[in-house]
Amino acid sequence: MAESDSRSAGSIDVGNRYDPLEALGILAGALFWGWLLFRWLNDWFGGLFVPQSQPFLSPSLFEFFPALAFAVEFAPALASGVWLTVLLTIVGIALGFPIAIVLAGARVYGRATRWVALGYIELVRGTPLLAQLFVLYYGLGLSSFIRELPGVGTVGVIPEQAVWIAMIGFTINSAAYQAEYLRGAIESVDPGQLQAARAIGLSQVDGIRYVVLPQALRYAIPGWTNELVYLIKYSSLAAFITVPELFNRASSIASENFRYLALFSLAGLFYLALVLTATNLMSRLEDRVAIPGLGTSEGR
Amino acid sequence: MSDPLLSVRDLRKSFGEEEVLRGIDFEMDRQDVQVLMGPSGSGKSTLLRCVNRLSEPDDGTITVDGEDTAAMDDDDLRREVGMVFQTFNLFAHLTARKNVSLGLRRVRGFAKSEAEDRAGEELERVGLADQADSYPAELSGGQQQRVGIARALAMDPKLLLFDEPTSALDPELIGEVLAVMRELADGGMTMLVVTHEMGFAREAATDLLFLDEGRILERGPPTQLFESPEHERTATFLRRLTDLEAGQHG
Ligand SMILES: Nc1ncnc2c1ncn2[C@@H]1O[C@H](COP(=O)(O)OP(=O)(O)O)[C@@H](O)[C@H]1O
Ligand SMILES: [Mg+2]
Repeated sequence: MAESDSRSAGSIDVGNRYDPLEALGILAGALFWGWLLFRWLNDWFGGLFVPQSQPFLSPSLFEFFPALAFAVEFAPALASGVWLTVLLTIVGIALGFPIAIVLAGARVYGRATRWVALGYIELVRGTPLLAQLFVLYYGLGLSSFIRELPGVGTVGVIPEQAVWIAMIGFTINSAAYQAEYLRGAIESVDPGQLQAARAIGLSQVDGIRYVVLPQALRYAIPGWTNELVYLIKYSSLAAFITVPELFNRASSIASENFRYLALFSLAGLFYLALVLTATNLMSRLEDRVAIPGLGTSEGR
Repeated sequence: MSDPLLSVRDLRKSFGEEEVLRGIDFEMDRQDVQVLMGPSGSGKSTLLRCVNRLSEPDDGTITVDGEDTAAMDDDDLRREVGMVFQTFNLFAHLTARKNVSLGLRRVRGFAKSEAEDRAGEELERVGLADQADSYPAELSGGQQQRVGIARALAMDPKLLLFDEPTSALDPELIGEVLAVMRELADGGMTMLVVTHEMGFAREAATDLLFLDEGRILERGPPTQLFESPEHERTATFLRRLTDLEAGQHG
């Protein structure tokens, strides 16, 4: 769908101007993600550069600034939690997406299926995510089933069963929310265009596929940004079904050294960095796929 | 004697309690240009939409080139009967060229490059060769409507339906669209046109149909309807149009 070349949307082309603040942001982002990637590689391969969860540099180097020394000491242990936070977010969004397309399509164009989709969406949106995770984890015998699958939790980077259940839970949950964003976006595409598609002989399905969806997906980007931000933060609920994601890691370390405030502040900074990355990437995406002459959602 | 290209027999259509079309009968020969006029809400759009079956008729028979449209596949019917809309309805995310080539690729099965070449030719035909890579929002209303016409033409239709193609346009942009339509008419295209443009009706129409309350109240060559209408309602409606046009241009 990103077939448009790099024509600017309006006559003012802000994109190419050098912006020192933006450059700083990109640099900070690159450092943060570079560091994370190194940490993950290091820990996955059993301590490639330094022992797992140990800092690359000794915290004692930073004794002159205790807060920094603290961060250097505990950030590595949190980094492995960040991996699960990112994994749960991306899996929830990515697997929820195709389901959301089907649900939104059924909501807008379906007859009997409309009510099935509506039921699913309202059930998921009307109940707490934590309750959904508990039902999946404790209620359905899913845990023992997944635990028995070959490789789960024992081979290399294949995560343990709680993580699988969290991924299933976030997929189910995110599908419902994404479906609602998508439905709104589909409904904002002028129905005359689908008629025009059918008037040149396209089937309803092809009209939706080639005409409605490419536009609706663009209009849904602000909704997706919201959804990403929510998922990043709500993935912390996986802590309550024992998934050692970022929040879980922070609280279990704090329960040993009692430095709750400092650890949760540090975890908060990680969440903030993830959210800023997500919003930044999404706004770039939005600019990139903007339809020439129509501008982005900012201009609307 | 050859069959008519389009034949509509006792066409009826209701929305709920409201009977919008109450038994429509007419025929079109090849190369006919018939203009359909009538008050707002009289069922003109519904009639056109029944012809290409964007709306399903409740009763009656419509044949195109001798084939009953009820028995045709939608895509076959719509390749034969093109439609141009009042609000253009261009695909907003596609360039003019891709607006025209989409149907060629997805309905007529052209390869990509073939479809785009053909789309370029159709755009040239409506005077927009230089705007092929513009997006709809970058075009004027008149240019958008010409892309809409090119999009319909690309399917090689036997019959083109126009639903008030100029009524959403600023007055200064109407002329360029009418000129393209006039050219098509001169080139032998069969056209069923809902419009209140008197000039176009007078000069291009072979027949004028006056639709009122779901029936064709009166029909005939434009001069006859303009100069000596049989029904008072036709006379009143056309007089009001003439006054309006005089007001606009004067
Ligand atoms: N899809 C529809 N559902 C319900 N009523 C409709 C629909 N389409 C048209 N109508 C009604 O049918 C009547 C004729 O409409 P239309 O064919 O659009 O008239 P015209 O094009 O002559 O102005 C109007 O009263 C309109 O409200
Ligand atoms: Mg109408």
